This record gives sequence, structure tokens and C-alpha cells, in this order.
Amino acid sequence: MRPEIRALQDALAEQGYIAEPAIATALFLAREMKKPLLIEGDAGVGKTEVGKVLARVLGTELIRLQCYEGLDVNTALYEWNYQRQLVRLRIAEQNGQDPSKLEEMIFGREYLLERPLLRAITRREGPAVLLVDEIDRADEGFEAFLLEVLSDFQVTIPELGTIRAEHVPYVVLTSNRTREIGDAVRRRCLYLDIPHPSLEKEVRIIHTKVPGVSERLADQIARFAQALRVRRLARSPGVAETIDWAQALTRLHQDRLDLGTVRETLGCVVKDRRDVDELTDAELSALIAQAAETTAG
Amino acid sequence: MSERDLVVHLAGFAGALRTGGVRVSLSDELDAAQALTLVDLLDRDEVRRSLLVSLRIRPGDRARFDDLFDRFWIAGGSPRHPAAAMMQVIQSRHPSAVERQMTTVPASEPNEASTAGESDQANDGAPGYSPDALLRKKPFDECTREELHEMEMLLATLSLKLATRRSRRLIPTRGRGAVDLRRSFRRAIGTGGELRWLARRAHAIERPSLVVLCDTSGSMDSHARFLLTFMLSLRRVARRIELFAFNTALTRLTPFLTGGYRRGGSAAIEGDAQSRVSSVLARLAAEVPDWSGGTRLGECLAEFVERHGSQLVDSTATVVIVSDGLDRGDPDILVRAMRAIQSRAWKVIWLNPLLGDSRYRPLARGMQAALPFIDRFAPAHNLESLERFITHLEVA
Repeated sequence: MRPEIRALQDALAEQGYIAEPAIATALFLAREMKKPLLIEGDAGVGKTEVGKVLARVLGTELIRLQCYEGLDVNTALYEWNYQRQLVRLRIAEQNGQDPSKLEEMIFGREYLLERPLLRAITRREGPAVLLVDEIDRADEGFEAFLLEVLSDFQVTIPELGTIRAEHVPYVVLTSNRTREIGDAVRRRCLYLDIPHPSLEKEVRIIHTKVPGVSERLADQIARFAQALRVRRLARSPGVAETIDWAQALTRLHQDRLDLGTVRETLGCVVKDRRDVDELTDAELSALIAQAAETTAG
Repeated sequence: MSERDLVVHLAGFAGALRTGGVRVSLSDELDAAQALTLVDLLDRDEVRRSLLVSLRIRPGDRARFDDLFDRFWIAGGSPRHPAAAMMQVIQSRHPSAVERQMTTVPASEPNEASTAGESDQANDGAPGYSPDALLRKKPFDECTREELHEMEMLLATLSLKLATRRSRRLIPTRGRGAVDLRRSFRRAIGTGGELRWLARRAHAIERPSLVVLCDTSGSMDSHARFLLTFMLSLRRVARRIELFAFNTALTRLTPFLTGGYRRGGSAAIEGDAQSRVSSVLARLAAEVPDWSGGTRLGECLAEFVERHGSQLVDSTATVVIVSDGLDRGDPDILVRAMRAIQSRAWKVIWLNPLLGDSRYRPLARGMQAALPFIDRFAPAHNLESLERFITHLEVA
């Protein structure tokens, strides 16, 4: 393994993110090749966390754009501060100012509201980390627009002209795969698929995120979650859920799983009513026994 | 290995991936070449990881990638002869079954039950007689080959009327919709701060996205060809369409749909439609194993949910299942799969050709199991029923 990749992996671990070589390699390549990184994976495998921890490792600002259906340019890129412009116009009218100067003034940078994409490319202090979260939620039309920004890192505002990136930001896009991301965006990015973690990794993650957790509980929770993922649930639990669960059980001073507690706190890991209904006490007991047995041995 | 060798070898590897059905573009290759200059070539796993990232290998293609990677990149980074590896790939492809499909023209055995009801209805419409009207009511399994061709043409025009749905996205409109303050203010700047004109916006209209699962088993044989044609013609009006065929196994057909109709096609293209449909169907038949064999409905739907469910089915997708519901498998598997589909999809429509027969009751075990998870259960035995189906795609 290249020393730089190893170093990056260690730096990520220092910031509390346990990265497999695959994740470290992808981040290294994205940084070196100056390309956005598209991360896909099921909900709760830690995609968003990659962006956040990258910002911490690089010691730079994290600029986050949360996507949703109906997201448009005015929320993502820029917006004129119309209210302020109108007030300015009224004041100018009363003072009888020169109209041509006035126009220049109200379409100046201080009347521009920077939204995440614009902020990411105008940041002066150095490249920021731009996290475009859940891109699959945005419309396909927005994807096309994003493509334009990501390919040139410049934005044209009719009243102001073209704004070029001061520094090309590190871009991380995440997708829950609720829909297929267009080929054009895919081609512009490097690609990383994050699967659910292995048992060992999950145990390590629980220990990192929940310091007070007992050795035995962390192991049992991880085994339980892994067994749940094998079952075909409507919504499989992600790492985020197992961390929540570990936190909840630690708060309750549990150091192992038993049927009563599991039943009461099942909502932390299984978040679909039909799944909860389907998991009978007998089945839960079997899962608990399975998780406990291997720990004891 | 020199850099030049590396590039040549990489090109061979990319070619083998493409032959193996993994989508790899030229820009993927260029990125991969650059990535390889950045990593430790002696670390085989690192080479593998960086190729995964730079060639943008999707999880579904991972197994094939790993398989080819093992053949192309041996420890130490020195390549085996690429050509030999490629030959292996080409030979492992199954011989096609085009000829077999070409004979799968719908049987013209008359179906007595539906003939009685349907042809009476057709005759009732005599005053406004048009051959179209008759064709619309004729069950597919009674049609001659020529009639089917005519029906296919009719379908092409019909699918244009496909319904639409309103999106969450707001777009500027004239004279209707809610007031758009942002644009109104924007306008006011031009008139020196005077708000003279209110801009408005309303929800955009969006075409539906469809996921179609079509049963091609023996019991569906007389319908399959026609229904597939219908689904192909829907492509022109749907925003996105994913097509699967299933019998004993599930096959994703979407990749074969490219290069067919163009949206808003002219009459010239329309005339071409016939041959397009035939050639697409021939390709489909070549790809689908066990065309017109038995059905494993539950298993196939479960496989669909597992492999494609999260990617293709979301709250904007209409899932259309075309099947007679004759399943010999475990109904529990079917129930589980149907529940998963319904919980994700915007709407689930089940088209059943048998429903055209007035005596038919959905008693088959599979059909019984699936019924609670269906938003709309509709017949699909003649053109008229498909016409109605199109209007069901509309949003409530």
C-alpha cells in the first residue's frame, strides 16, 4: 500500500472514522485526481460521515448541500437579496441618487446571498469540502445543472458575470440509490460503493462511537445487527442504527442482550412496523442466543 | 511493466469487461490509467481497489469484475496475455436462441369463453364501425399475425395520450398557481422597486416512471409478445422505464431497449416501428432463459426486490406486473416480495390477461397471495383494456 494512502487511513481513524483500505484509496484518488467522489450505499453505512471526516482531516470547512425533491438553483447556488435591494432603491429615491451608479450598487456582491455551491467555489481560505448529500433525492434536472458546476467549477450570474473557483473544492456526493444516478454525473466522478461493515469493523465502530459500551454488549449488538441484515427485512438496520442502539443500551446500564430489553428497545434498530411485527419473541430469542453464544465461546 | 504496456493492458481489461456486459466508457479508462499512476502497482489489492473506484464498477457488476481481474492482473502486476483471457470471455457467452423466439408467434386457438362476450360487444358498436374499434376489443390470443401488427401500430399512437403526474418541483407559470415572491421582487427591481406584476409558479408536470415485470412463462405465451410490444411503446411517454422478464429466472431487459423509438417520432419512424419491435423482441428472447417455460413468480419477484428494488423502485415509480399469477412456489415468498414492492412504490398495478374472461376468479394461490398488495388489478387481454391501463397511470 502506498504510504500516502496508509497515512490518510490513519488520519481518518484519528478522527474517529474507521475506513477500510477501499475508502481510503478512493479518497486518496479523488484528492489526487481532483475529481468528485460519488459514494453509494444503503442508508446508515456512513456515507455522509465520509464527507464530514474528510473536512476534519483536511482541516477545512465543510459545506453541505442537502438535496430534496424540488431543490432548485436558488437554494443551491445563489439568490439576490431582493428585500435588501428594494430597501436600497427606496432610500436612493429619497436621496435622488444617480440611477446608473445605483444599478451597479444593488447588483454588487454584498447583495448576493451565497448558497452552498457558490460558497464552495468562492471560499478564499483554501479548498473546502463540498458535500452534496443524497443526490438521488433531487430531480434529474438538478443533476444536469450540478454537472455544469462540477465540470468547470465556475458559475455565471447574468448581472455579475462569471465567477471562477478560487480553489477547486473537494466534492463528495452521496446517494442512497433510491434511483439510478445519471451516467453523465457518474462519469464525472470517481465511484465508491460502501457495503454494510463486517462484524469486526462494526464492533470497532461501536467502541469508537460509544466509549462507555462494554466489550460483550458491543459484540452482541454487532452480531445481532449482522444477523438481522441477513434476514430480508423491509428496512435493514445501518451502522447508524446499531450505534444508536448501543448508546441506548449503555444508558440503560445493560451489558448484554436479553429478550425484555431487546423488545423494549427494538425501535432503535428496526424502524418498520411490519418488520417489528414479524419478529416474534421466539425469533428474537433465537437471534439473541445466536449473538450471545458466539461471544461466550 | 512500462507505462505504455500498462495502458495497453488496461485497454484489454476494459474490453473484456465490456464483452462481459459491464459498462465501461472511454473516460472511465482514462481515469483508470491516471489512477494507476498514483497507486502502488505491486500491491494487487490496491490496484483492484483503485480500478473499482476509477472504472466506477457498480456493486451489481462486482462479481464479474473480480473474476476478470483475477484473470488479467496476477500478483506482481505483470499481466498475462490479454488476448487469451478475452477469448475465454467470448466463448463463455451463451449461444443465442433467436430462432426459437422467432417462432413464438401467438397461437390462434380461439378462446371460447371470451369470444362470446367480447364479439357481442364489438357488434354492438356497429353504427360507428371502424376496424380500429373491432381490433380494440379482440383478445390477443385470437388475433392473426396481421391483426397483431395492426394493433401494434395502433398502440404506438395510443400510448401518446399517456397520462402525467404533477411533481413537487415548482416552475414559473403564467396566470395560475401560487405567487412567486422571489421572482415578483426580481421584476420589481426593474421598475424601480414598484411591485406592478406578480409572478406565479405551480407544480411541474412530470411523466411517470415505470418498472414493468412481464411474465413470459408458458401459460402467458399467447400474450407475452404483444404485451412486451405494448411496454416497448410506452417507452416514448414514460420518463423512465425499466423492463424485466421473468419465468423461472429474472432478466433485466432495459439495456435492450435502447435504439428503439424516439420520443415524439414522426410518421416515418412510426413505419419503422414494426421492424424495431421485432428486432428488440428477438434480442429479448435471446437473453431470456427458458422463454415460455414454467414460472417461479415468488422467487423472481423476491430476486427483483433484492437486486433492483432499492435502486429502481421509489415513491415516484409505478410498478406494473404482467402475469396470470399461476405460481407453484411458496406463497410466503411472494407475499414478502409484494409487500416490499408496495411499500416502496408509488403504485402497483397488476395486469392479468385472464381477467378478460368474465368467469375468471383470481383463485390461483399466487394471485390470492398477491392481491392485498395491489393498488389496481386490471385485465390485459385486448387493446381496450390496455387503453384503460394507460389512464390508470395518471395520478390521483
